Amino acid sequence: MSGIVSATGLVKRYDRTLAVAGLDLDVPAGEIFGLVGPNGAGKTTTLRILATLLVPDGGDAEIAGASVRRNPNEVRRVLGFMPDSFGVYDDMKVWEYLDFFARCYGIPAAKRRRMIGDLLELVDLGAKRDAYVQGLSRGMQQRLCLAHTLVHDPAVLLLDEPASGLDPRARVELRELLRELRALGKTILVSSHILPELEELCTSVAIIDRGQVLAHGRVADIERRLRVGAVLRVRVLAEGDDLVAARDWFASQPDVAAADILEDGTIELGFRGDDEASAALLAAAIAHGLRVVTFARAASDLEELFLQVTAPDDAARTGSEAAA
Amino acid sequence: MTAEPMAVAPGRPRRRPLAALRDVGTGIAAVMTKELRGRMRGRRAFVILTIHLLLLAGFTWMMEALQERTTGAGFGSAFFASAQIGRELFIAILMLQTLIVLVLAPASTAGSISLEREKQTLDLLATTPISSLAIVLGKLVSALTWVFLLILASIPITALVFTFGGVGPEDVVRGYLVLVLTAIGFGSIGLFFSALVKRTQAATVLNFVTMLGVTGGATFVFVFWSVMTGWQVQPGFARDESFLDSLRRRPPEALLYLNPFVAQADVICGTETGFGTYCGIIGAVTDRQLVALDRPIEPGIGIAEPQQFGVQRDSYWPRSMAAWVIVSLVLIVLSVQLVTPTRRWRLGLPRRRRRATGSPA
Repeated sequence: MSGIVSATGLVKRYDRTLAVAGLDLDVPAGEIFGLVGPNGAGKTTTLRILATLLVPDGGDAEIAGASVRRNPNEVRRVLGFMPDSFGVYDDMKVWEYLDFFARCYGIPAAKRRRMIGDLLELVDLGAKRDAYVQGLSRGMQQRLCLAHTLVHDPAVLLLDEPASGLDPRARVELRELLRELRALGKTILVSSHILPELEELCTSVAIIDRGQVLAHGRVADIERRLRVGAVLRVRVLAEGDDLVAARDWFASQPDVAAADILEDGTIELGFRGDDEASAALLAAAIAHGLRVVTFARAASDLEELFLQVTAPDDAARTGSEAAA
Repeated sequence: MTAEPMAVAPGRPRRRPLAALRDVGTGIAAVMTKELRGRMRGRRAFVILTIHLLLLAGFTWMMEALQERTTGAGFGSAFFASAQIGRELFIAILMLQTLIVLVLAPASTAGSISLEREKQTLDLLATTPISSLAIVLGKLVSALTWVFLLILASIPITALVFTFGGVGPEDVVRGYLVLVLTAIGFGSIGLFFSALVKRTQAATVLNFVTMLGVTGGATFVFVFWSVMTGWQVQPGFARDESFLDSLRRRPPEALLYLNPFVAQADVICGTETGFGTYCGIIGAVTDRQLVALDRPIEPGIGIAEPQQFGVQRDSYWPRSMAAWVIVSLVLIVLSVQLVTPTRRWRLGLPRRRRRATGSPA
């Protein structure tokens, strides 16, 4: 265990259902680390163990050197946790909400006032200081909840599905905020099943399924390790037979597994090569006389990765559920 | 805001007792501040307090008018009649306040924990360093502060009985002590059910069933037991028998320890000469009727010292309140366990299906 967040052999059962099955995790300081997995994969259970809300049945986890089993109080002092579904107190103003949590952490009165102002500015709620919490929009409540995790200036943030229920603008704002927090030196663990979002945001990911980490590291590294194909989209100035000829030429190239023409005339390539290979393919296409307008990797590499990593063994999963 | 990873020594830390106590105090203060901000915001709290005092004052005035009409004729002196009115007023106010506490205390704590669960705020609280003990005590004290405010505000009205006489300040102090301990006891019951069940509605129902059980239910069982054993209060001698033998003869007084009306009857008995209605109730409950300091009555002795005869006063309500203190402590400990997310003991109603928060994600 060397990272600021690490877990070894975490196990958690609910009755006879194995939610986390010997999960290992190692998150270096300063990362925005994504936990990716389908519903029921064990993401929330893992985060709740790290947040000291659940005691693991096996294994242990450490946050900033403090064990969640032996030293949960110290863990609580170095982390901020935002659960998947959270509520807000009625009859409470925005500043009172943060003041309450700051009191819970024993922050002195003199420091609280300034800190609340700073945090509200950070999450862009300075104008809502005296508004009632229940009157805020969902996105604002989400940002306020994120602000509450920061009152004690923790080193690690655990955010469970922070973007769920947010509109696109609020998602973008949240993403910017998380980047800002990373710049402030926070290590952020974020779980989500909205993969393109994680891909844009995270420096590393762990793909979890059935309570185990299936792949772990930077997206590009995982891709390289698993040799999973990327999708390239190419637009050429060609129509009719010329377009078909261009597709056939691409299909005949090394590392290209498949080539199709989409409805808008774009050629989509299933590509197994790395960045070097894709640069060589582009150069070859131009040398071949194809007039290339755009040549780009399709977004959602993580989605592809995720599908590749979690797709097999459906039969085994069905079997294990039946056994549980 | 910059984050510096804190290095923490491995192993379970040993906290100094004083530091731990200070942390609990800080936690209680944080929870209390939050709760009281919500409860006391705006005019609502003061409107309720005013209505409470107006109703209590109106009730007191009506009781005084009633007693003035019914007391007086046939009694020896005007002083005696005034004292009689004072006593009757004291009884009426004390019993009404006890009833109010009985309803308000569990109602004010019924949602303490369950509302946090319903609103999904308990997890936010549980991941702060604030201890479960601080959460539970902070919730209990802040909920009871409201009840105590109502009790405290009623003291001037109760003090009206002094203008009539028949009741001493020590009687009022005893009566209010019973009120306060009863409030803590029933508040703890409310808190426990709030921590035990998920829904505030269910906690409220359980509270009122328990309240009816320990008051009306226990009294009914006591009377039933008395009738079935053919027990009658027999004045004269202190009995030398085992507890089990006594159960064959009569119901145990402990059956009514949690009924605050019986404890208040003992307080009221303190204003009687030892032979009044309320002393009679306490005599029947304690089986110590007409025992003079546990010695047999000697024929031919006059009533030189009033307490030498009649019921042994001021002995039942302290036992009743001691029972409430023990029950409150046990319920607080159990509530702390139920609130702790990583508790070791498993309490709670059996569930067929786990709730969303406890299911794998």
